[in-house]
Amino acid sequence: MRYFSHQNVATASDGVKSAIECEGKSCFIAGGTDLLGILKDDLLPSYPEKVINIKTIEGLGNVEGREGGARIGALAKLSALERDPTIIELFPALAESAASVATPEIRNAATLGGNLCQDTRCWYYRYPHHMGGRMDCPRKGSGPCHAVLGDNRYHSVIGGKRCFAPCPSDTAIALAALGATVEVIGADGERSLPVEDLYSPMGNTLRGGEILTNVDIPAQPKGSVQGFKKFTVRKPIDFAIVSVGARITALEGKVSEARIFIGGVAPGPYRDEGVENYLRRKPLDSQSIATASKKALLKAKPLSMNAYKIDIARSLIAELLEELTR
Amino acid sequence: MSSKPTKWVSLTINGDNREFAIGGRAGELPPSETLADTLRERLGLTGTKVGCDRGSCCSCTVLINGAPSLSCMTLTVECDGASVITIEGLPDPLTGALDPLQQAFIDHTAYQCGFCTPGMIMAAKALLTANPSPAESEIKSALGGHYCRCISHYHVIDAVADAAGRKS
Repeated sequence: MRYFSHQNVATASDGVKSAIECEGKSCFIAGGTDLLGILKDDLLPSYPEKVINIKTIEGLGNVEGREGGARIGALAKLSALERDPTIIELFPALAESAASVATPEIRNAATLGGNLCQDTRCWYYRYPHHMGGRMDCPRKGSGPCHAVLGDNRYHSVIGGKRCFAPCPSDTAIALAALGATVEVIGADGERSLPVEDLYSPMGNTLRGGEILTNVDIPAQPKGSVQGFKKFTVRKPIDFAIVSVGARITALEGKVSEARIFIGGVAPGPYRDEGVENYLRRKPLDSQSIATASKKALLKAKPLSMNAYKIDIARSLIAELLEELTR
Repeated sequence: MSSKPTKWVSLTINGDNREFAIGGRAGELPPSETLADTLRERLGLTGTKVGCDRGSCCSCTVLINGAPSLSCMTLTVECDGASVITIEGLPDPLTGALDPLQQAFIDHTAYQCGFCTPGMIMAAKALLTANPSPAESEIKSALGGHYCRCISHYHVIDAVADAAGRKS
Protein backbone atom coordinates (compact mmCIF):
# COMPACT_ATOMS: atom_id res chain seq x y z
CA MET A 1 0.00 0.00 0.00
CA ARG A 2 1.22 3.49 -0.77
CA TYR A 3 1.81 5.91 2.07
CA PHE A 4 -1.01 7.81 3.73
CA SER A 5 -1.14 9.65 7.02
CA HIS A 6 -3.49 8.44 9.74
CA GLN A 7 -5.65 10.19 12.28
CA ASN A 8 -7.79 8.87 15.11
CA VAL A 9 -10.87 10.92 15.84
CA ALA A 10 -12.77 10.92 19.13
CA THR A 11 -16.16 12.16 17.92
CA ALA A 12 -18.16 11.87 14.71
CA SER A 13 -18.18 15.64 14.25
CA ASP A 14 -14.35 15.71 14.52
CA GLY A 15 -14.30 13.11 11.77
CA VAL A 16 -16.58 15.18 9.54
CA LYS A 17 -14.50 18.31 10.20
CA SER A 18 -11.26 16.52 9.43
CA ALA A 19 -12.62 15.07 6.18
CA ILE A 20 -13.90 18.46 5.02
CA GLU A 21 -10.55 20.08 5.80
CA CYS A 22 -8.89 17.49 3.53
CA GLU A 23 -11.11 18.54 0.59
CA GLY A 24 -11.85 15.07 -0.69
CA LYS A 25 -8.31 13.77 -0.22
CA SER A 26 -9.18 11.60 2.76
CA CYS A 27 -11.25 8.56 3.49
CA PHE A 28 -12.72 6.99 6.60
CA ILE A 29 -11.63 3.63 7.95
CA ALA A 30 -13.68 1.49 10.32
CA GLY A 31 -13.18 -2.28 10.04
CA GLY A 32 -11.00 -1.69 6.99
CA THR A 33 -11.83 -5.01 5.34
CA ASP A 34 -13.21 -3.22 2.27
CA LEU A 35 -11.07 -0.07 2.26
CA LEU A 36 -7.67 -1.77 2.52
CA GLY A 37 -8.48 -3.94 -0.49
CA ILE A 38 -9.37 -0.81 -2.47
CA LEU A 39 -6.16 0.95 -1.46
CA LYS A 40 -3.93 -2.08 -2.04
CA ASP A 41 -5.31 -2.50 -5.55
CA ASP A 42 -5.18 1.26 -6.14
CA LEU A 43 -8.62 1.06 -7.76
CA LEU A 44 -9.58 4.69 -7.73
CA PRO A 45 -8.11 7.58 -9.73
CA SER A 46 -7.48 9.39 -6.43
CA TYR A 47 -5.52 8.03 -3.48
CA PRO A 48 -6.12 9.42 0.01
CA GLU A 49 -3.51 11.63 1.65
CA LYS A 50 -5.09 10.86 4.98
CA VAL A 51 -7.06 7.94 6.39
CA ILE A 52 -9.35 8.96 9.23
CA ASN A 53 -9.94 6.22 11.79
CA ILE A 54 -13.51 6.40 13.07
CA LYS A 55 -13.20 3.24 15.21
CA THR A 56 -11.97 5.50 18.00
CA ILE A 57 -15.31 7.36 18.20
CA GLU A 58 -16.85 6.68 21.60
CA GLY A 59 -20.27 5.13 22.04
CA LEU A 60 -21.01 3.90 18.52
CA GLY A 61 -20.41 0.21 19.13
CA ASN A 62 -23.45 -0.75 21.16
CA VAL A 63 -26.83 -2.35 20.68
CA GLU A 64 -29.47 -0.55 22.73
CA GLY A 65 -33.02 -1.80 23.06
CA ARG A 66 -35.56 1.00 22.58
CA GLU A 67 -39.31 0.52 23.02
CA GLY A 68 -39.33 -2.83 21.31
CA GLY A 69 -36.94 -1.63 18.63
CA ALA A 70 -33.20 -1.11 18.76
CA ARG A 71 -30.54 1.47 18.05
CA ILE A 72 -27.32 -0.07 16.80
CA GLY A 73 -24.11 1.94 16.65
CA ALA A 74 -22.46 1.89 13.25
CA LEU A 75 -19.24 0.54 14.79
CA ALA A 76 -20.94 -2.61 16.13
CA LYS A 77 -19.04 -5.59 14.76
CA LEU A 78 -20.88 -8.10 12.61
CA SER A 79 -19.59 -10.88 14.90
CA ALA A 80 -21.24 -9.11 17.86
CA LEU A 81 -24.55 -8.71 16.01
CA GLU A 82 -24.79 -12.38 15.06
CA ARG A 83 -24.43 -13.28 18.77
CA ASP A 84 -26.34 -10.44 20.40
CA PRO A 85 -29.32 -11.84 22.37
CA THR A 86 -31.53 -8.79 21.66
CA ILE A 87 -30.85 -8.98 17.92
CA ILE A 88 -31.37 -12.75 17.80
CA GLU A 89 -34.65 -12.48 19.68
CA LEU A 90 -36.19 -9.40 18.06
CA PHE A 91 -34.48 -9.19 14.67
CA PRO A 92 -33.41 -12.68 13.60
CA ALA A 93 -33.30 -11.53 9.96
CA LEU A 94 -30.50 -9.11 10.85
CA ALA A 95 -28.64 -11.71 12.93
CA GLU A 96 -28.82 -14.16 10.01
CA SER A 97 -27.66 -11.59 7.49
CA ALA A 98 -24.72 -10.56 9.69
CA ALA A 99 -23.72 -14.20 10.18
CA SER A 100 -23.86 -14.78 6.42
CA VAL A 101 -21.18 -12.18 5.67
CA ALA A 102 -17.72 -13.43 4.69
CA THR A 103 -15.64 -15.33 7.30
CA PRO A 104 -15.47 -15.30 11.11
CA GLU A 105 -12.16 -13.40 10.81
CA ILE A 106 -13.72 -10.67 8.67
CA ARG A 107 -16.81 -10.44 10.87
CA ASN A 108 -14.49 -9.87 13.86
CA ALA A 109 -13.28 -6.67 12.17
CA ALA A 110 -16.14 -5.59 9.91
CA THR A 111 -18.69 -3.13 11.27
CA LEU A 112 -22.38 -2.71 10.52
CA GLY A 113 -21.78 0.79 9.14
CA GLY A 114 -19.01 -0.52 6.93
CA ASN A 115 -21.15 -3.35 5.65
CA LEU A 116 -23.79 -0.81 4.64
CA CYS A 117 -21.34 1.67 3.10
CA GLN A 118 -18.92 -0.73 1.40
CA ASP A 119 -17.98 -0.15 -2.21
CA THR A 120 -19.18 -2.31 -5.08
CA ARG A 121 -17.70 -5.71 -5.92
CA CYS A 122 -18.04 -5.22 -9.70
CA TRP A 123 -15.02 -7.02 -11.13
CA TYR A 124 -14.33 -4.30 -13.66
CA TYR A 125 -14.41 -1.63 -10.97
CA ARG A 126 -12.21 -3.81 -8.74
CA TYR A 127 -9.62 -4.57 -11.40
CA PRO A 128 -6.18 -3.94 -9.78
CA HIS A 129 -4.16 -1.02 -11.09
CA HIS A 130 -0.88 -2.92 -10.89
CA MET A 131 -2.09 -5.51 -13.42
CA GLY A 132 -2.09 -3.44 -16.56
CA GLY A 133 -3.92 -0.40 -15.28
CA ARG A 134 -7.23 0.24 -13.58
CA MET A 135 -10.45 0.17 -15.59
CA ASP A 136 -12.18 3.52 -15.64
CA CYS A 137 -15.95 3.60 -15.63
CA PRO A 138 -18.81 6.01 -14.90
CA ARG A 139 -18.52 5.29 -11.20
CA LYS A 140 -14.88 6.44 -11.28
CA GLY A 141 -15.77 9.55 -13.25
CA SER A 142 -15.02 8.62 -16.85
CA GLY A 143 -15.37 5.81 -19.35
CA PRO A 144 -18.13 3.34 -20.22
CA CYS A 145 -19.66 0.64 -18.03
CA HIS A 146 -17.73 -2.46 -19.05
CA ALA A 147 -20.43 -4.76 -17.73
CA VAL A 148 -22.93 -3.79 -20.42
CA LEU A 149 -21.00 -5.45 -23.23
CA GLY A 150 -18.73 -7.58 -21.04
CA ASP A 151 -19.16 -10.43 -18.59
CA ASN A 152 -22.12 -9.29 -16.54
CA ARG A 153 -23.15 -12.51 -14.83
CA TYR A 154 -22.90 -10.91 -11.37
CA HIS A 155 -24.44 -7.53 -12.21
CA SER A 156 -27.85 -5.95 -11.68
CA VAL A 157 -30.98 -7.13 -13.47
CA ILE A 158 -33.03 -4.09 -12.54
CA GLY A 159 -32.50 -0.43 -11.67
CA GLY A 160 -29.02 0.01 -13.14
CA LYS A 161 -28.29 3.32 -14.79
CA ARG A 162 -24.82 4.13 -16.20
CA CYS A 163 -23.48 1.67 -13.60
CA PHE A 164 -24.91 -1.86 -13.30
CA ALA A 165 -23.17 -3.01 -10.12
CA PRO A 166 -25.49 -4.48 -7.49
CA CYS A 167 -25.49 -3.55 -3.81
CA PRO A 168 -23.04 -5.90 -2.06
CA SER A 169 -24.42 -5.46 1.46
CA ASP A 170 -26.31 -8.35 3.08
CA THR A 171 -27.32 -6.48 6.21
CA ALA A 172 -28.92 -3.74 4.08
CA ILE A 173 -31.40 -6.27 2.69
CA ALA A 174 -32.44 -7.52 6.12
CA LEU A 175 -32.58 -4.01 7.58
CA ALA A 176 -34.71 -2.75 4.69
CA ALA A 177 -37.20 -5.56 5.30
CA LEU A 178 -37.35 -4.53 8.97
CA GLY A 179 -38.05 -0.90 8.04
CA ALA A 180 -34.79 0.39 9.54
CA THR A 181 -33.40 3.88 9.10
CA VAL A 182 -29.82 5.09 9.24
CA GLU A 183 -28.60 8.22 10.94
CA VAL A 184 -25.92 10.22 9.21
CA ILE A 185 -23.88 13.18 10.42
CA GLY A 186 -22.31 15.71 8.10
CA ALA A 187 -21.33 19.34 7.78
CA ASP A 188 -24.99 20.39 7.80
CA GLY A 189 -25.84 18.41 10.91
CA GLU A 190 -27.69 15.13 11.25
CA ARG A 191 -30.21 13.53 8.95
CA SER A 192 -31.83 10.15 8.85
CA LEU A 193 -33.07 8.12 5.92
CA PRO A 194 -34.52 4.68 5.21
CA VAL A 195 -31.78 2.09 4.64
CA GLU A 196 -32.88 1.50 1.04
CA ASP A 197 -32.38 5.21 0.25
CA LEU A 198 -28.70 4.92 1.12
CA TYR A 199 -28.10 3.48 -2.35
CA SER A 200 -28.08 4.85 -5.87
CA PRO A 201 -26.78 3.31 -9.12
CA MET A 202 -23.52 5.26 -8.73
CA GLY A 203 -22.83 4.20 -5.14
CA ASN A 204 -24.05 5.21 -1.72
CA THR A 205 -25.76 8.55 -1.30
CA LEU A 206 -23.54 9.86 1.49
CA ARG A 207 -22.29 13.36 0.73
CA GLY A 208 -18.66 14.35 1.15
CA GLY A 209 -17.52 14.06 4.76
CA GLU A 210 -20.68 12.38 6.01
CA ILE A 211 -20.44 9.51 8.51
CA LEU A 212 -23.12 6.91 9.14
CA THR A 213 -23.46 6.86 12.92
CA ASN A 214 -26.43 4.73 13.93
CA VAL A 215 -29.00 2.30 12.62
CA ASP A 216 -32.49 2.47 14.10
CA ILE A 217 -34.80 -0.51 13.84
CA PRO A 218 -38.40 0.15 14.84
CA ALA A 219 -40.43 -2.25 16.96
CA GLN A 220 -41.77 -4.92 14.65
CA PRO A 221 -45.55 -5.26 14.21
CA LYS A 222 -47.36 -7.77 16.39
CA GLY A 223 -47.80 -11.11 14.65
CA SER A 224 -44.98 -10.48 12.19
CA VAL A 225 -42.38 -13.03 11.14
CA GLN A 226 -39.09 -12.23 9.44
CA GLY A 227 -36.17 -13.92 7.76
CA PHE A 228 -33.17 -13.60 5.48
CA LYS A 229 -31.78 -15.99 2.90
CA LYS A 230 -28.77 -15.77 0.64
CA PHE A 231 -27.54 -17.68 -2.38
CA THR A 232 -23.78 -17.78 -2.97
CA VAL A 233 -21.41 -19.73 -5.17
CA ARG A 234 -18.95 -20.49 -2.35
CA LYS A 235 -20.92 -21.20 0.77
CA PRO A 236 -18.59 -20.26 3.64
CA ILE A 237 -17.32 -16.97 2.21
CA ASP A 238 -18.94 -15.04 -0.56
CA PHE A 239 -21.02 -12.09 -1.57
CA ALA A 240 -24.62 -12.79 -2.46
CA ILE A 241 -25.56 -13.74 -5.99
CA VAL A 242 -29.08 -13.07 -4.76
CA SER A 243 -30.40 -12.54 -1.24
CA VAL A 244 -33.86 -11.98 0.16
CA GLY A 245 -35.08 -10.28 3.32
CA ALA A 246 -38.73 -10.53 4.24
CA ARG A 247 -41.12 -9.49 6.97
CA ILE A 248 -44.67 -10.79 6.85
CA THR A 249 -47.37 -9.57 9.19
CA ALA A 250 -50.48 -11.69 9.45
CA LEU A 251 -53.83 -10.85 10.98
CA GLU A 252 -56.45 -13.54 11.54
CA GLY A 253 -54.62 -15.91 9.24
CA LYS A 254 -54.26 -13.46 6.38
CA VAL A 255 -51.31 -11.36 5.34
CA SER A 256 -51.90 -7.74 6.32
CA GLU A 257 -48.48 -6.43 5.31
CA ALA A 258 -45.52 -7.88 3.42
CA ARG A 259 -42.09 -6.35 3.01
CA ILE A 260 -39.95 -8.23 0.51
CA PHE A 261 -36.50 -6.92 -0.42
CA ILE A 262 -34.17 -8.61 -2.88
CA GLY A 263 -30.39 -8.14 -2.79
CA GLY A 264 -27.77 -8.73 -5.45
CA VAL A 265 -30.13 -7.74 -8.27
CA ALA A 266 -30.21 -3.94 -8.12
CA PRO A 267 -28.07 -0.98 -7.01
CA GLY A 268 -29.78 -1.14 -3.61
CA PRO A 269 -32.23 -3.38 -1.76
CA TYR A 270 -34.98 -3.92 -4.35
CA ARG A 271 -38.47 -3.82 -2.92
CA ASP A 272 -40.65 -6.21 -4.86
CA GLU A 273 -44.15 -4.80 -4.74
CA GLY A 274 -45.42 -7.39 -7.20
CA VAL A 275 -44.88 -10.14 -4.64
CA GLU A 276 -46.05 -7.98 -1.75
CA ASN A 277 -49.30 -6.97 -3.44
CA TYR A 278 -50.14 -10.51 -4.41
CA LEU A 279 -49.68 -11.77 -0.86
CA ARG A 280 -51.83 -9.10 0.78
CA ARG A 281 -55.10 -10.39 2.23
CA LYS A 282 -54.20 -13.98 1.35
CA PRO A 283 -53.29 -16.73 3.79
CA LEU A 284 -49.56 -17.50 3.71
CA ASP A 285 -49.59 -21.08 2.45
CA SER A 286 -47.84 -23.17 -0.17
CA GLN A 287 -50.29 -22.17 -2.86
CA SER A 288 -50.05 -18.40 -2.33
CA ILE A 289 -46.28 -18.64 -1.90
CA ALA A 290 -45.85 -20.55 -5.16
CA THR A 291 -47.83 -17.95 -7.12
CA ALA A 292 -46.39 -14.92 -5.30
CA SER A 293 -42.77 -15.96 -5.78
CA LYS A 294 -43.30 -16.20 -9.55
CA LYS A 295 -44.28 -12.53 -9.54
CA ALA A 296 -40.83 -11.48 -8.36
CA LEU A 297 -38.75 -9.25 -10.63
CA LEU A 298 -41.37 -9.15 -13.38
CA LYS A 299 -40.05 -5.73 -14.40
CA ALA A 300 -36.42 -6.89 -14.58
CA LYS A 301 -34.33 -6.12 -17.64
CA PRO A 302 -31.47 -8.58 -17.33
CA LEU A 303 -28.18 -8.05 -19.14
CA SER A 304 -26.82 -10.65 -21.54
CA MET A 305 -25.61 -13.14 -18.92
CA ASN A 306 -27.58 -12.64 -15.72
CA ALA A 307 -31.22 -13.60 -16.34
CA TYR A 308 -30.55 -16.67 -14.15
CA LYS A 309 -30.65 -14.35 -11.11
CA ILE A 310 -34.40 -13.93 -11.59
CA ASP A 311 -34.97 -17.69 -11.23
CA ILE A 312 -32.76 -17.79 -8.15
CA ALA A 313 -34.62 -14.84 -6.61
CA ARG A 314 -37.98 -16.57 -7.15
CA SER A 315 -36.74 -19.82 -5.62
CA LEU A 316 -35.19 -18.01 -2.65
CA ILE A 317 -38.40 -16.07 -1.98
CA ALA A 318 -40.42 -19.28 -2.09
CA GLU A 319 -37.97 -21.07 0.22
CA LEU A 320 -37.85 -18.21 2.69
CA LEU A 321 -41.63 -17.74 2.84
CA GLU A 322 -42.13 -21.49 3.25
CA GLU A 323 -39.74 -21.37 6.21
CA LEU A 324 -41.67 -18.48 7.70
CA THR A 325 -44.93 -20.44 7.65
CA ARG A 326 -43.42 -23.08 9.92
CA MET B 1 13.67 19.32 18.32
CA SER B 2 11.21 18.68 15.52
CA SER B 3 12.80 15.34 14.68
CA LYS B 4 10.83 13.71 17.49
CA PRO B 5 8.23 11.32 16.13
CA THR B 6 4.74 12.62 16.73
CA LYS B 7 3.13 9.32 17.52
CA TRP B 8 4.03 5.96 19.02
CA VAL B 9 2.11 2.74 19.15
CA SER B 10 2.87 -0.02 21.57
CA LEU B 11 1.56 -3.53 21.35
CA THR B 12 2.33 -6.90 22.86
CA ILE B 13 3.40 -9.56 20.39
CA ASN B 14 3.64 -13.09 21.78
CA GLY B 15 4.07 -11.57 25.23
CA ASP B 16 6.87 -9.15 24.27
CA ASN B 17 6.17 -5.45 24.39
CA ARG B 18 6.98 -3.67 21.13
CA GLU B 19 6.94 0.04 20.45
CA PHE B 20 7.02 1.68 17.06
CA ALA B 21 7.43 5.29 16.05
CA ILE B 22 4.83 6.11 13.43
CA GLY B 23 5.74 8.17 10.39
CA GLY B 24 7.28 8.26 6.96
CA ARG B 25 10.96 8.69 7.84
CA ALA B 26 13.64 6.02 7.87
CA GLY B 27 13.10 3.54 10.67
CA GLU B 28 9.56 4.72 11.34
CA LEU B 29 6.55 2.55 10.77
CA PRO B 30 4.34 4.00 8.01
CA PRO B 31 0.66 4.28 8.99
CA SER B 32 -0.12 2.36 5.81
CA GLU B 33 1.78 -0.74 7.02
CA THR B 34 -0.33 -3.81 7.73
CA LEU B 35 0.18 -5.96 10.78
CA ALA B 36 1.16 -8.85 8.50
CA ASP B 37 4.03 -6.77 7.08
CA THR B 38 5.10 -5.60 10.52
CA LEU B 39 5.20 -9.18 11.79
CA ARG B 40 7.01 -10.62 8.79
CA GLU B 41 9.23 -7.84 7.45
CA ARG B 42 9.94 -5.81 10.56
CA LEU B 43 10.03 -8.47 13.27
CA GLY B 44 10.99 -11.51 11.21
CA LEU B 45 8.01 -13.51 12.49
CA THR B 46 7.57 -15.25 9.15
CA GLY B 47 5.37 -18.00 10.57
CA THR B 48 2.42 -15.79 9.64
CA LYS B 49 1.82 -16.35 5.93
CA VAL B 50 0.39 -13.87 3.47
CA GLY B 51 -1.57 -15.60 0.73
CA CYS B 52 -3.99 -13.31 -1.07
CA ASP B 53 -3.25 -10.12 0.95
CA ARG B 54 -6.91 -9.16 0.37
CA GLY B 55 -8.71 -10.85 3.26
CA SER B 56 -9.99 -13.77 1.22
CA CYS B 57 -7.80 -16.75 2.21
CA CYS B 58 -7.28 -16.40 5.99
CA SER B 59 -3.64 -17.60 5.79
CA CYS B 60 -2.49 -14.54 7.72
CA THR B 61 -4.80 -15.14 10.69
CA VAL B 62 -3.38 -14.15 14.08
CA LEU B 63 -5.09 -13.59 17.40
CA ILE B 64 -5.70 -9.94 18.26
CA ASN B 65 -6.92 -9.70 21.86
CA GLY B 66 -7.89 -13.35 21.54
CA ALA B 67 -10.03 -12.97 18.41
CA PRO B 68 -8.93 -14.56 15.14
CA SER B 69 -8.14 -11.62 12.88
CA LEU B 70 -6.68 -11.01 9.45
CA SER B 71 -3.26 -9.43 9.88
CA CYS B 72 -3.22 -8.44 6.18
CA MET B 73 -6.35 -6.33 6.65
CA THR B 74 -5.26 -4.69 9.90
CA LEU B 75 -3.19 -1.52 10.12
CA THR B 76 -0.46 -1.80 12.74
CA VAL B 77 -1.02 1.83 13.70
CA GLU B 78 -4.52 0.82 14.85
CA CYS B 79 -3.22 -1.94 17.15
CA ASP B 80 -2.09 0.37 19.95
CA GLY B 81 -2.50 -1.47 23.25
CA ALA B 82 -3.45 -4.75 21.58
CA SER B 83 -2.14 -8.19 22.42
CA VAL B 84 -1.18 -10.16 19.31
CA ILE B 85 -0.42 -13.89 19.29
CA THR B 86 1.11 -15.49 16.23
CA ILE B 87 2.00 -19.11 15.51
CA GLU B 88 5.43 -18.42 17.05
CA GLY B 89 3.65 -17.66 20.33
CA LEU B 90 1.98 -21.04 20.72
CA PRO B 91 4.80 -23.33 21.93
CA ASP B 92 5.66 -23.20 25.61
CA PRO B 93 8.29 -20.43 25.87
CA LEU B 94 10.26 -22.26 28.58
CA THR B 95 10.32 -25.84 27.34
CA GLY B 96 9.65 -25.26 23.64
CA ALA B 97 6.96 -27.95 23.80
CA LEU B 98 4.43 -27.58 21.00
CA ASP B 99 0.85 -26.63 21.66
CA PRO B 100 -1.42 -29.73 21.62
CA LEU B 101 -3.03 -28.31 18.47
CA GLN B 102 0.31 -28.12 16.68
CA GLN B 103 1.10 -31.68 17.74
CA ALA B 104 -2.31 -32.86 16.53
CA PHE B 105 -1.69 -31.26 13.12
CA ILE B 106 1.62 -33.15 12.90
CA ASP B 107 0.09 -36.44 14.04
CA HIS B 108 -2.72 -36.19 11.49
CA THR B 109 -0.47 -34.81 8.72
CA ALA B 110 -3.07 -32.06 8.45
CA TYR B 111 -1.17 -30.20 5.73
CA GLN B 112 0.80 -30.82 2.59
CA CYS B 113 2.71 -27.69 1.68
CA GLY B 114 1.91 -26.12 5.05
CA PHE B 115 1.38 -22.58 3.81
CA CYS B 116 -2.16 -22.24 5.18
CA THR B 117 -1.38 -24.19 8.36
CA PRO B 118 -0.38 -21.34 10.73
CA GLY B 119 -3.61 -19.48 9.96
CA MET B 120 -5.68 -22.65 10.43
CA ILE B 121 -3.99 -23.39 13.75
CA MET B 122 -4.54 -19.85 15.05
CA ALA B 123 -8.25 -19.91 14.14
CA ALA B 124 -8.58 -23.38 15.65
CA LYS B 125 -6.80 -22.15 18.80
CA ALA B 126 -9.40 -19.38 19.22
CA LEU B 127 -12.19 -21.89 18.62
CA LEU B 128 -10.92 -24.33 21.26
CA THR B 129 -10.35 -21.53 23.76
CA ALA B 130 -13.97 -20.42 23.42
CA ASN B 131 -15.43 -23.89 22.89
CA PRO B 132 -13.26 -26.75 24.23
CA SER B 133 -15.34 -29.52 22.65
CA PRO B 134 -16.69 -28.25 19.33
CA ALA B 135 -18.96 -30.30 17.08
CA GLU B 136 -17.70 -31.01 13.57
CA SER B 137 -20.07 -28.36 12.19
CA GLU B 138 -18.59 -25.80 14.58
CA ILE B 139 -15.05 -26.65 13.47
CA LYS B 140 -16.14 -26.30 9.86
CA SER B 141 -17.75 -22.92 10.36
CA ALA B 142 -14.84 -21.57 12.42
CA LEU B 143 -12.40 -22.59 9.68
CA GLY B 144 -14.78 -21.87 6.81
CA GLY B 145 -12.70 -19.05 5.36
CA HIS B 146 -9.38 -20.91 5.38
CA TYR B 147 -8.26 -22.07 1.99
CA CYS B 148 -5.96 -25.01 1.53
CA ARG B 149 -5.04 -25.64 -2.07
CA CYS B 150 -3.64 -29.09 -1.18
CA ILE B 151 -7.11 -30.07 0.13
CA SER B 152 -5.93 -31.01 3.61
CA HIS B 153 -9.27 -29.89 5.04
CA TYR B 154 -10.43 -33.40 6.07
CA HIS B 155 -7.27 -34.01 8.06
CA VAL B 156 -7.55 -30.56 9.63
CA ILE B 157 -11.00 -31.36 10.99
CA ASP B 158 -9.66 -34.63 12.46
CA ALA B 159 -6.68 -32.82 13.98
CA VAL B 160 -8.79 -30.12 15.63
CA ALA B 161 -11.27 -32.67 16.97
CA ASP B 162 -8.37 -34.76 18.27
CA ALA B 163 -6.73 -31.76 19.95
CA ALA B 164 -10.06 -30.92 21.59
CA GLY B 165 -10.21 -34.47 22.95
CA ARG B 166 -6.64 -34.36 24.24
CA LYS B 167 -7.34 -31.20 26.17
CA SER B 168 -10.31 -32.60 28.04
